[in-house]
Amino acid sequence: MGCSSSLPDRSTGRLGGLNVSESGGVADAKNLRVKLVLLGDSGVGKSCIVLRFVRGQFDPTSKVTIGASFLSQTIALQDSTTVKFEIWDTAGQERYAALAPLYYRGAAIAVIVYDITSPETFTKAQYWVKELQKHGSPDIVMALVANKADLHEKREVPTQDGIDYAEKNGMFFIETSAKTADNINQLFEEIGKRLPRPSST
Amino acid sequence: MEKSFNLLHIIQHRRDGYGFALRPQHIQRYREYANIFKEEEEERSYKWSYFIEQQQKSNHSSSSEEERRAKLQAEADELREETVSERGRQEDDSSDKNSDSDGSTKSYPGKVVQLSEQPEKKSNLRRRCNFSKEPEKEVKLSEEPQKEVQASQIPGRETLLSKESDKEGQLLEETKARKVKSWSWTRPSLHVIENMMSSRVRNIKDLKDRHNTINGDHLPSIKKTVSSGGSSAAEINKELWIKETSDDNVDESTEESSADSKLAPESFFPWKELEFLVHEGVPKDLRGEVWQAFVGVKSRRVERYYEGLLAEETNTEQSKEHNNSKAAPRKWKKQIEKDIPRTFPGHPALDERGRDSLRRVLVAYARHNPSVGYCQAMNFFAGLLLLLMPEENAFWTLVGILDDYFDGYYTEEMIESQVDQLVFEELIREKFPKLVNHLDYLGVQVAWISGPWFLSIFINMLPWESVLRVWDVLLFEGNRVMLFRTALALMELYGPALVTTKDAGDAITLLQSLAGSTFDSSQLVLTACMGYLAVTEARLLELREKHRPAVLVVVEERSKGGRIWKDSKGLASKLYSFKHDPGSLVEEKKIPLPDPQEHVVWLKVELCRLMEEKRSATLRAEELETALMEMVQQDNRRQLSAKVEQLEQEVADLRQVLADKKEQEAAMLKVLMRVEQEQKITEEARIGAEQDAAAQRYAVNVLQEKYEKAMASLAKALSSPRSVSSSVESPRRRIGLFGLGWRDRNKDKDKPSNDDSGTS
Repeated sequence: MGCSSSLPDRSTGRLGGLNVSESGGVADAKNLRVKLVLLGDSGVGKSCIVLRFVRGQFDPTSKVTIGASFLSQTIALQDSTTVKFEIWDTAGQERYAALAPLYYRGAAIAVIVYDITSPETFTKAQYWVKELQKHGSPDIVMALVANKADLHEKREVPTQDGIDYAEKNGMFFIETSAKTADNINQLFEEIGKRLPRPSST
Repeated sequence: MEKSFNLLHIIQHRRDGYGFALRPQHIQRYREYANIFKEEEEERSYKWSYFIEQQQKSNHSSSSEEERRAKLQAEADELREETVSERGRQEDDSSDKNSDSDGSTKSYPGKVVQLSEQPEKKSNLRRRCNFSKEPEKEVKLSEEPQKEVQASQIPGRETLLSKESDKEGQLLEETKARKVKSWSWTRPSLHVIENMMSSRVRNIKDLKDRHNTINGDHLPSIKKTVSSGGSSAAEINKELWIKETSDDNVDESTEESSADSKLAPESFFPWKELEFLVHEGVPKDLRGEVWQAFVGVKSRRVERYYEGLLAEETNTEQSKEHNNSKAAPRKWKKQIEKDIPRTFPGHPALDERGRDSLRRVLVAYARHNPSVGYCQAMNFFAGLLLLLMPEENAFWTLVGILDDYFDGYYTEEMIESQVDQLVFEELIREKFPKLVNHLDYLGVQVAWISGPWFLSIFINMLPWESVLRVWDVLLFEGNRVMLFRTALALMELYGPALVTTKDAGDAITLLQSLAGSTFDSSQLVLTACMGYLAVTEARLLELREKHRPAVLVVVEERSKGGRIWKDSKGLASKLYSFKHDPGSLVEEKKIPLPDPQEHVVWLKVELCRLMEEKRSATLRAEELETALMEMVQQDNRRQLSAKVEQLEQEVADLRQVLADKKEQEAAMLKVLMRVEQEQKITEEARIGAEQDAAAQRYAVNVLQEKYEKAMASLAKALSSPRSVSSSVESPRRRIGLFGLGWRDRNKDKDKPSNDDSGTS
């Protein structure tokens, strides 16, 4: 346990983890509750995606996230199930990766974000995928999100690269724009559909 | 005046008194508190000016008080004149730093933004004489109202208010005319504090130097002996603490009792009094300089160092061949560039020029301390400091905070920050076991929330008034104790609400929003400072030493990459089955690895980690067991047995009631039956009577008939006497039979009808 996190926080973390997957993760068959973590390089728009999804707002000059921040949002799917997302939006700077395990441990979903205008952030996204494959929970649902799709004239990462990488790693891929709200709700709806349902239906 | 207050309200609609954006949901509460803040501010301005005056008096008893007062008054007047005259000719040129320019305060309505401009040459002319006019004038003009308070105590407060209003009116022109001064000295009146704090800085420096040369402990320890083996930073901190406490005994205070002078190494200084003042908050106008005094900027500053760092920066930028050697700074620069527009976005002071200052301070710090470089969060610190002081002052204050207070916190591995989270977790488990139990149950880790609190030193986590109050104390104390105390105070304030939450998301959302609306900054600071006196630097150092090895091991593993990680993951999970089956783990450990030497190293690391984990697990198990026992005993058993008793009592009562009811019911039933029977009898009697009546009517008819017949036959008999006698005899016999039947009917029901039919 202690090794799957940067903070070797002993049995307490495990206790928490168990709670999340057993009681905390899923409320009942029709009302799901999931922990979601957003990872990705600094400035790719993680906080903007969350703010767009939760509050429907876009602020081009949002604050730097220190450590992590939390928001939650509930959506209803077409099959009349509701999903309450408990979203941890993490800090992007490289050294904050030391704290990331604190947040992605026990998460059912990881949304890894990159910026289509910056190949560097795409590389960073791949780093996160590997990190989660190594240290995340084995049944974690991963989504690869190519953000800032509105800046297509500045695009430097081809859509196909994202699709290929996602396919190779069994991830769900989507291009979004927090600025224009393009595909933001779709992203979370698709995630909701892909969630493992409790077998007791 | 009233007009300007209205203006203030309009401006404050979406930003607070410091020019920071307010969240829409907080505007109402901010308004409620705005007046309290104002009152508090007036009170503390008064108290501080009195305190500073007292200090100056005791330091310079030579000059008579009247003389000084007169001088101060004169200076204040002069400065006011200067302000008025220069207000007219505000130049919007900052490139020419040596040109004489306006000395007026660049104050935003919040009265905090004080980026004032002073002629460079004046600072070169600086003299240390407290009462010569020259240095006093060079102090930032924001001091002016303060000085008026000093000079003329009570009227001064009114002047302060009117001054503020003036400034508010000036807002628009001033933002345009703002210039950045690179360095200014603190006002002489604060030199007493500054000198005290500077001695603290010197102590740290001494210790660091000594630590580098001699690696033994040579200080007389008072409370705890220094245990070796920690990292150098911790060692130094500990020694420093010991040195400070030992100063209590070693240093003799000059005149009065040394009881008060807890930290005073040089001369008598009323630390308790100052501490009390700091707990109540530093006045806005003094804050920038007081903070510098607390951090000991004066003794940290090296002439031309800051300019040197910046020059170096421009040089490397010009010669881009040194890409390799300057790769790291390049990375930081890029990150800094990303973060600058995202630092207090929209704050009026952070315009183009403000951002340039911010950039320079951050880049200079990254060059000054490459082992830290740039870490997100520093942008907020530097931004805050720049709102309170000139650029180079902000740089040195930042250096002090990051290099001493937060040594090891923002480095690449963020080791100390991780250690602090473990320490905090231990403390919170100790102080609020029930709350932590609940959070454990919900699957919430305290570090999720407290981590960002600590890393940002509460910036953006609390309302600004509270952030600044926490910083006041933190900078005064010179360590991170206030972080812990504030976080504990928040848990104390909001714990009761947290235990009512039902899932992890709700708990975190609630805590975040409650913390974000902690407008009662005095309550927060006093709860923190008074309620958690037991959380001392010594205690923290002890706990950090205890938890540091675990963090170091994980960091080491991480840097080595995945292999050991994966192995140890397997081991760790086995560790959990250790209690159930100790044999299996021991067996696993015997399996040899290919390279013995590597294996030994690996095993050592593993062993260290395992021991740590085992110890923690045991501790945790004990904690849980105790908690469980407590819960079972207190909550379950006692409550349940009480409930059972109560229920039993209730059941008994109910049974009694039931029995009573049954009895009543039976009695009622009896009565009912009797009544029914009576009713039946009456009914029968009635029917009988009716039938009798009918029978009698019939009999009467029959008799009538017979009578008529008899009469007829009588009339006949008159003609024949024999037949008459026989017909008269027969009806008489029948009547006799009928009368008998009627009497019988009262005894038997069926008979009358038989009789009736018989009679009919």
